[in-house]
Amino acid sequence: MNTQNKGWKLKDVLMIAICSVLFGVLLLGATYAGGILYGLLAPAGMGSLGYEPFYGIYFMPAAFAIYVMRKPGTGVVTEIIAAVIECLLGNYFGPIVILSGVIQGFGIELPIALKGYKDFRRPVMITSAVVCSVLTLIYNLFVSGYKMIAVPVLALMLVVRIISAILFCGIITPLLCDKLAKAGVLRGYAVSEGTDASFED
Amino acid sequence: MKLEKLNPSIKAISVMAAAIMLSFAYLVSLNLIIFGSCVILLLFFSDARPVRIGKILLPALVAAFGFFMMGLLYARGSSVTDADLSTLSSVPYAVRAAMSQNLRTALQLSTRLLAFAGLGIFFALSTKGEDFIFSLMHQCRLSPKFAYSILAAVNLMPHMVREYGQVRTAFAVRGIPSGFLSLKPLFTMLVNSIRWSSSVAMSMESKGFDGSRNRTYSQIPRVKWYDIVFAAVLLGGIAAGMFLLKY
Repeated sequence: MNTQNKGWKLKDVLMIAICSVLFGVLLLGATYAGGILYGLLAPAGMGSLGYEPFYGIYFMPAAFAIYVMRKPGTGVVTEIIAAVIECLLGNYFGPIVILSGVIQGFGIELPIALKGYKDFRRPVMITSAVVCSVLTLIYNLFVSGYKMIAVPVLALMLVVRIISAILFCGIITPLLCDKLAKAGVLRGYAVSEGTDASFED
Repeated sequence: MKLEKLNPSIKAISVMAAAIMLSFAYLVSLNLIIFGSCVILLLFFSDARPVRIGKILLPALVAAFGFFMMGLLYARGSSVTDADLSTLSSVPYAVRAAMSQNLRTALQLSTRLLAFAGLGIFFALSTKGEDFIFSLMHQCRLSPKFAYSILAAVNLMPHMVREYGQVRTAFAVRGIPSGFLSLKPLFTMLVNSIRWSSSVAMSMESKGFDGSRNRTYSQIPRVKWYDIVFAAVLLGGIAAGMFLLKY
């Protein structure tokens, strides 16, 4: 059980950082698709909605890392690393993305922490995705000024964001991790140790 | 005096604090002043090329336009919102907007995004990635293990983009659809990433990297008097603006 001890091994940190970059590349692809949607929706005032379908990709590093490593703090730490990386790669919001990274990581980690970092079945992962979507929208309400926007529009955004988060973090991420564990790439990580509970559900 | 000389950690923390302060202010003028001064400072006091500034600002301007339209059409408590959402495009919104609060909301939303983008590029275009990480190590007690892992991952990015393209092409050649969201290439890339992480870790450790703090550093960033002055001027300026400005 040496993966359960609190220290981070160099290999773990590199894994998280490299996978964060990978999800960043995925996000870049999504931004192009989102940009087209955005262009179509912007004149109707719904531009921001164009990016919402891909919002779940922002939460993927945290969901991935915590599902694989299963120890306290992983979600928040990973999302901060991902944000620092985004900042280094030239996001136009610069260090401000670190603030939203903390919220995202916390949102993913909260339901898992409440379950004592032991239950990683689909319902818990889906709850994480929903909690994260709600928390990030609350962040947007205040920091991005969304509270000046009409409630029905916000509700629509939240629904799309939740669906996206559930798809990317509640379903795709665990599915990929289980496949990776089965393929034997994740040997040495917690996900490959006690997988009986999380495989068939 | 170049902006590149400012301590990256202080710069990053000031920018974050400024963004938090601005999110409590609903002042269009203050937002525009911040945005304008960031761009001007970048143009005259940094090595950032104007073309690069333009390139990175373009998506921000587009996003600001989207926010403007959203504020104009769907501001909270406006008459337009209460109307049927589907018929909105036919409403002469310019007339309605001018009468209601909407234009103000639209400007508040879009200029705030511009102010954030101004602060963001102010940092991003005047800070080298390595300097930021080194400074985080010395000023924010970031462990070298995390610092060098982040640098390694960032430097892998071009390689990763190329590889991702190749993997997708390989699937396409075999007749397997591989759009940017299909899972098969993503799975292959995750396998590659995990393999890279263990081999990079092995090579770093074999060269004597143990991730501990007591190592020697080629450069140690320090906090100088002008860093404090910068933070004080930026945050003090915003605080003053919040008190003095009305719109």
